[in-house]
Amino acid sequence: MRIVDLLSLIADNLKRRKGRVALTAIGVIIGTAAVVTLISLGAGLQESATSQLWGINDLSNVEVYPGYPDMMGMGMQTFTEDDIKKITPDVVAQFESMPGVQRVIIKQRVNTGIEIRLDKLMAWGSIMGVNLDDLADMGVQANQGITDVSGKNTVVVGSWIKNNFYDPNQRPGDEPLELPELMGQTLKVDFVKWNSDGTETRKSMRLEVVGVLAETRGEADYNIYMDWDEVLKLNDWVAGRRVDYNKQGYDNVTVKATSPEVVIDLAQQITDMGFQAYTPQSQVQSINSFFTIMQVVFGGVGAIALLVAAIGIANTMAMAILERTREIGIMKAIGATNNNILSIFLGEAAGIGFLGGVGGFLLGWAICGLINLLAGSYLASQSGGGTTLATSIPVWLPLFSIVFATIVGLISGLYPALSAATMVPVDALKYE
Amino acid sequence: MPDNFVQTIDLRKTYNMGETEVHALDGLDLSIPSGSFTVIMGPSGSGKSTLLYLVGGLDWPTSGEIHVDGLEIGRMDENALADYRRNKVGFIFQSFNLIANMSAEANVAFPLRFAGIKKKDRVVRSEELMEKVGLRDRIGHRPTELSGGQQQRVAVARALVNDPPLILADEPTGNLDTASGVAIMSMLDELRKMGKTVLVASHDLRMLNYATHRIYLMDGRMVDEQQYLESISIS
Repeated sequence: MRIVDLLSLIADNLKRRKGRVALTAIGVIIGTAAVVTLISLGAGLQESATSQLWGINDLSNVEVYPGYPDMMGMGMQTFTEDDIKKITPDVVAQFESMPGVQRVIIKQRVNTGIEIRLDKLMAWGSIMGVNLDDLADMGVQANQGITDVSGKNTVVVGSWIKNNFYDPNQRPGDEPLELPELMGQTLKVDFVKWNSDGTETRKSMRLEVVGVLAETRGEADYNIYMDWDEVLKLNDWVAGRRVDYNKQGYDNVTVKATSPEVVIDLAQQITDMGFQAYTPQSQVQSINSFFTIMQVVFGGVGAIALLVAAIGIANTMAMAILERTREIGIMKAIGATNNNILSIFLGEAAGIGFLGGVGGFLLGWAICGLINLLAGSYLASQSGGGTTLATSIPVWLPLFSIVFATIVGLISGLYPALSAATMVPVDALKYE
Repeated sequence: MPDNFVQTIDLRKTYNMGETEVHALDGLDLSIPSGSFTVIMGPSGSGKSTLLYLVGGLDWPTSGEIHVDGLEIGRMDENALADYRRNKVGFIFQSFNLIANMSAEANVAFPLRFAGIKKKDRVVRSEELMEKVGLRDRIGHRPTELSGGQQQRVAVARALVNDPPLILADEPTGNLDTASGVAIMSMLDELRKMGKTVLVASHDLRMLNYATHRIYLMDGRMVDEQQYLESISIS
């Protein structure tokens, strides 16, 4: 039997029992729609969760901090300065030579408290140096001004710094002050160090704000960036001598990988060297695996609906075969093989699954659209806009859902079709 | 073509009806010559239909042999039998056994689908046969829109569609009025004249007018004409 004849015969057979085929397919439609909707909901939640993660655009970064010895099981012992795995210039060079590393950015704070004044306002903050002339090289962008920090007595501030300002003379009941516009302002910064005899020494600087960074949702939002050499000099002043970073090590470095694929591996290597290494990607990974499990569970719930539909198909096919026993006998009498009969009935069952799969995907797609619409308008009314998508249909889902529903149909039809195919022709012909 | 187109040797078919065994065919040895019009006469339950189904490859014998056109079909597996039914045999049933949702023409062409014939050729062949059985103008009609005689003519056309050498008819006139019955009988006679071997199970005595050979069956055994006539006159 030619495949085109088989398919047209299956189509004709399905057409001649439209009502029952439709009723059976509705079961599959509901099941498939449930699978599609729940999986899309899971995928949508995953997308909105990962997009809100810190530094999603920094997936190729590894943040490295000095390594502290494992305190577990050490009893009352304390560790000494020597036990700390420090990030010395040698270590930086070592990182730079690792395969997959694009560059290493050193970050070093000024190791003392500061007071910032702007007119009547005061603020606290932390001065950070990076071994770059241009902050753009570490992936940040300017909201105002420039990202170049190499200028004399200039700073580039993070987006949240202006929120640190307060009026020290404010009384209860006063209007809260308006946050200052920092761009172009000159800040008076006092560096304060405490001497061993309890007295304090101050060093004042006037620093001009030449740039305000765009929000990163990361630590850069809270830093005041200053020229690298200037920061090192200030630290020498704080220590009262030239700081030897070969002994003391740097606060922290960012290891930038050549591509996000190697980041997890790189972080692992650095951890194995005794340092603390963090990468947003490991966070993304664990969130992804959580949501994958969630999608499987959601899909499983939908699959129960499909299972019920499968029983419906099996029932419909079993009934059809009872009604058409004589027809099976006739087909055998005129030369149909067991395989022909099997193919016809399996094809009909798969056809019902296929129709249900197509219908179910369309229904699921419509439900997802409706959820997005309702969730969108609800969230908009709650937060005044800025909503995220509630469901997201993965690209593989249309094909998957239709193929899956077809296979469900095929499997449901297996037993009825086999019993049809193996009927003794004469018994089928005599069946009343 | 061998002289004995159909031959059975000690053919037995036994059905188990609960505790009792029913011997539908009880050691049948018969030969049917090629190109003959053989009528199997016998009362109900004599084994006529059983014999026809076995020769047609629709059932398996309990024991014995069936040779058709040189093939031993009693031992064939289902696939080989399907092939045999498609190429060697055309079946005509008492109750026509047409598929109700298909047009007359589609019914005639249906066996060709299983033979892997292209649609264009199927249409040509089935139209030709509908013409031959005098139903050219009923091509698109469903079986339910046709009279019993017309339905049986469609069934005859279907039996001929693969051009098989053997035509088996099980009570072909049983559900027909007198005139339609005669038309079918002369149609079967035509087939014999075309060189086909025709085997008819019937208790329509008019069928004997067309028979070149007769077989009388009683309780699954062959009897002679005398015994048969005695048995029906008693009943």
